[in-house]
Amino acid sequence: MRGHRDLTLACLAAILCAAMAVAVPVEIVRILAAVPLALFLPGYATLAVAFGARRPPTPTLLVASVGTSLSVLALSGLLLDLLPGGIETLTWAILLLALVLACCRGAALRRGPGRRAGPRLRVPRLARRDLGLLVAAAAIATAAFVLAQTPLPAGKATGFTALWMLPGAGERSVEVGVVSSEHDRRDYLLRLEGVRGQAPRSSRFGLEPGEEKTFRLPVSRGTAAHPTRVTASLYQVSEPGHLYRRVVSWMPRKKGLP
Amino acid sequence: MPASRTEDPKRAAGRLRRPALDLGHLPAIALCAALGLLLCSLDNGLGRAALQPTTLTYWAGLLLIALPIFYRLGSKEPSPGERLLLVVLLGLALYGVKVVRDSLLFNFPDELVHAFNAQQIVEHHHLYRFNPALPVTPHYPGLGSATSALMTLTGMSSFGAGTLVIAAGRLTFVTALFLLFNRIGGSARAAGLGVAIYTGSSNFLFWGAQFSYESLALPLLVVVLMCFVEREAAAPSWRAAWLVPIVLGILAIAVTHHITSYAAAAILIALAILYRVFELRAPNPWPLALFATVVAAGWLLIAARQTVGYLSPVLGDAIRAIFKTASGETAPRTLFHASANTVGVTPFPARAVALLAIALLGIGFVFGIRVVWRRFRREPLVLLFCLASLGFFAALVLRFAPAAWETGNRAGEFLFLGLAFVVTYGAAELLRAGPNLRRRRLLLVAGLGIVLVGGAISGWPWDVQLARPLKVTAEERRIVSEPLALAEWAKRRFSGHRFAAPEADARMLMAPGGQIAFGGQGPDVEDIVSTPQLAPWQLPVLRRHHLPYVVADRRQISSDTLRGYYFEIPGQEGEELYPPDVVHKFSKIPAGRLWDSGRIVLYDLESRP
Repeated sequence: MRGHRDLTLACLAAILCAAMAVAVPVEIVRILAAVPLALFLPGYATLAVAFGARRPPTPTLLVASVGTSLSVLALSGLLLDLLPGGIETLTWAILLLALVLACCRGAALRRGPGRRAGPRLRVPRLARRDLGLLVAAAAIATAAFVLAQTPLPAGKATGFTALWMLPGAGERSVEVGVVSSEHDRRDYLLRLEGVRGQAPRSSRFGLEPGEEKTFRLPVSRGTAAHPTRVTASLYQVSEPGHLYRRVVSWMPRKKGLP
Repeated sequence: MPASRTEDPKRAAGRLRRPALDLGHLPAIALCAALGLLLCSLDNGLGRAALQPTTLTYWAGLLLIALPIFYRLGSKEPSPGERLLLVVLLGLALYGVKVVRDSLLFNFPDELVHAFNAQQIVEHHHLYRFNPALPVTPHYPGLGSATSALMTLTGMSSFGAGTLVIAAGRLTFVTALFLLFNRIGGSARAAGLGVAIYTGSSNFLFWGAQFSYESLALPLLVVVLMCFVEREAAAPSWRAAWLVPIVLGILAIAVTHHITSYAAAAILIALAILYRVFELRAPNPWPLALFATVVAAGWLLIAARQTVGYLSPVLGDAIRAIFKTASGETAPRTLFHASANTVGVTPFPARAVALLAIALLGIGFVFGIRVVWRRFRREPLVLLFCLASLGFFAALVLRFAPAAWETGNRAGEFLFLGLAFVVTYGAAELLRAGPNLRRRRLLLVAGLGIVLVGGAISGWPWDVQLARPLKVTAEERRIVSEPLALAEWAKRRFSGHRFAAPEADARMLMAPGGQIAFGGQGPDVEDIVSTPQLAPWQLPVLRRHHLPYVVADRRQISSDTLRGYYFEIPGQEGEELYPPDVVHKFSKIPAGRLWDSGRIVLYDLESRP
C-alpha cells in the first residue's frame, strides 16, 4: 500500500480502532474507536476498491462511505449469524477489520504501485472568530444534551411504593422487597404470614425515595397437594389500619396454567 | 518575540500554505442552532419535571435552529461546500430535537420493539429471535444487525447504539438528498432548499427519527438514488464502480425494511420503463430493477413470509376504509383528533399552521411543476418526482378515512422526496433577481418555517410533542414511573419469561425489561387485561400461549403505547382508571401476586393452591 496515503491511514485506523474496541474496557474510548470502525471505514474501503485509481468528488465519497458502511453493517450480521460464534464483539471486530484490510489491499492493487491517488491530508486554517463561534456552539449543544440526560425533580408526579415477593431457590424461602418511588421518606410496616415455624411476623422500617429494602425468609415446605401460602402485607405507619399493598405466593408453584 | 523571530522559515511557509477554510456564516448559524437546541432541551426539561411548559419555547427553539439555515440556503452567496455543511447542521440539529426529547430511554412504541430485537441479538448472538409485539421485525434484521455491531463493539445499551445508528442514517439522508438534488437540478442552491423543504415532511422530525427499521432503510434508499444519478453522470468506463454501493444498498434495504425494499424496486422498474419510453442514450437500468425486485421478493418468500400476513390486513383495511368513507358508509375521520379518547384536540392555532403548511406546499407545487416540466421533462427520475408530488396530495385524502390515515401518513415520507424537489422550483420563483429580493427571501424563509412547524404538528400528536416524566429525582435520588419500575425489576429478577400485559406495560417489559411480553390483540391479551370479569375463554388463551405472568393495570392509559409509560400527573389527561375488578379478578382464581405497586399488579398463574 506504499504510496497510497489514504489506504495506509484507513488500515492503520482500522487496526487501532478494532484493538481499542476489543481490549479497552472504558466505554467512551470504545465508542470513539467503534464509530469510525463501524460507520465509516468499511464503506470507504469498499468504495476504494470499487473505484480504483479514480475518485469521486470528496463530499460524494464521504456520504457514500457512511451510506455504504451502514449497508455493510446491515448485511454483515447475516454472515456472522451463520458462524458458530455468532454475533459478538470479537467476530464483529475481526469481520470489519478483515473487510477494511482486504478492500484496501484490493484498492492498492487496482491503483497500481506508488501512484498517489490518495489525497494529501492538509488541515485547513480556521479563522479565530469562526473557531470561537464553533466552540461556543459545541459547548451549548453539549449543555443541551447534558440537561436532557439529567433527571429532574417532578414534585407534581404521583409517587408510589411497590411491594414484591419471589420464591427463593428450591422454593424453601421467599424474597420480599419494598421499593419506594415516593417523593419523600415514608415509614412502613410489613407483615409476613406463612414464615416457617413462626407466627405472623412484622417489621417496621423507613425508605428514602428510590430506596429498596429486601427480606429473605424461610418458609414451611408445602406439597403439590397442600402448597404453603405466604402473604406479605404492607401498611403505611401513618395509616396502620389501611392495607396499602399485598403480595401472595403459593409454594411449590404448579406446573402449567389453570 | 524571539520565538517568532527564530521560527523555522520552512515551517512558517508551510503554515502560510495551509488552505484557509472559508465556512461563510456557518459558525454563527451553528451557534443559533445550538441555542435553539438548548431552548428545546429546556422546554423538554420542564415537561420531564411535570411543570406543564408552554410549547411556544419549544417551537421558538425549533425555528431558531431552522430559520437562519433556511435564510442562508436561500442566499446566492454560500459556496456548495457551505450549503452542504448547512444541510448537515440542519439534519443533525433537528435530530437533536428528538434526542433531547427522549434522552433517557427509548419511548416511541416502535423503538421499544426494535430495541428488544437488538438486545436479543446481543444476548443470544444470533438474528431472527422471536418478537411478541411485531413478529415480522426480526425477519428484517438490518437495523438489529447494525445496532448489534455498535452495542458489542462499545458495550453501549441498545438505546445508545441505536441513537448513533439513526444519527448516522439522518446524516446520510440529508447529505445524500442534497447531492441527489444537486446532481439532477445542477444547482446547489436549489438542492439546499430542497432539503430544507423536506424537513417539512410530517414524519421528518419524530417518526422518521425514531429507532425503527424504516429510519435506516429510507436513508439507504436515498443513497441508492444518489449513487444511481452519479452513475448516470459518470463517464462510461467509470459506471461499473457505482454499481457496488448501489447493489450493497439494495441488498441492505431488502433485509432492513419491507415497504422500502418494494419502493426501491418500484422506483427502479419505473425508471427502466421511462428510459425505454424516452429511448435515452444512457444504459437502461432494467438489470438493477430486476435485481431489486428479485432481492425484495426473494427475501419476502425465503426469510420473511410473515410480512404478507402483516401488511395485507393494514393495506386491506385502508382500501376498505377509503371506499366506506367515500360511499358515506362511515363518517370521515376528524383531522387532528387522536384515536385515544383520553387525549385532547390539537388547539386551533396549531391546526391552522398545519393546514397553512399544506396550502403553501400546494402553492409551491403549482408554481414548481411548471418550471420542472419545462426544464426536466426528459429526465425520468424527475418525472417520478412529479408523480410522487401528485401522489402526496392524493395521499392526503387518506387522512379522512379512519383506517387509512396511517397508511397515507407513512406513504408521505416517500412521496415527499418528489414533492420537495418540485416545490423547490416553485420556491425558487420567489428568489428571482428583481426588486424587493430581500423581502421575498424573508417571505420564503417564513413559508419554510411554517412548513416545518406544520409538518411537525401534523406528524406527531400535539400532547406528546414534549417529554413527560419517566425518570425523575426526589430528594436527589432517582425514582422511575410505575411501568418502568416493573420493567426494571423484571429485568433483574427474570430472564426471558413470558408475560401478558396491557400494551404500554408490555413494550416496557420487552425493552428495557428483556422479557417476552404479549400485549394487544394477537393473542387477545388486550381484552384479558381490561375486562372486569374473567371470561371463560381467557384462561385457555393464556394457557395456549403459555403466559403464566399477567400484568393487570388499572390505568386506562396503559393501553396507549404513546402515553402509557410515564408518571401520572394529577389534573392532566390519563388519570382515568378501570374498575378495581380489572385487577382483582385474577386474585379470585386464585393466583399469586408477585408485584403490587397500587395500580399495577403482577400475577403468577402457576402460583396457586
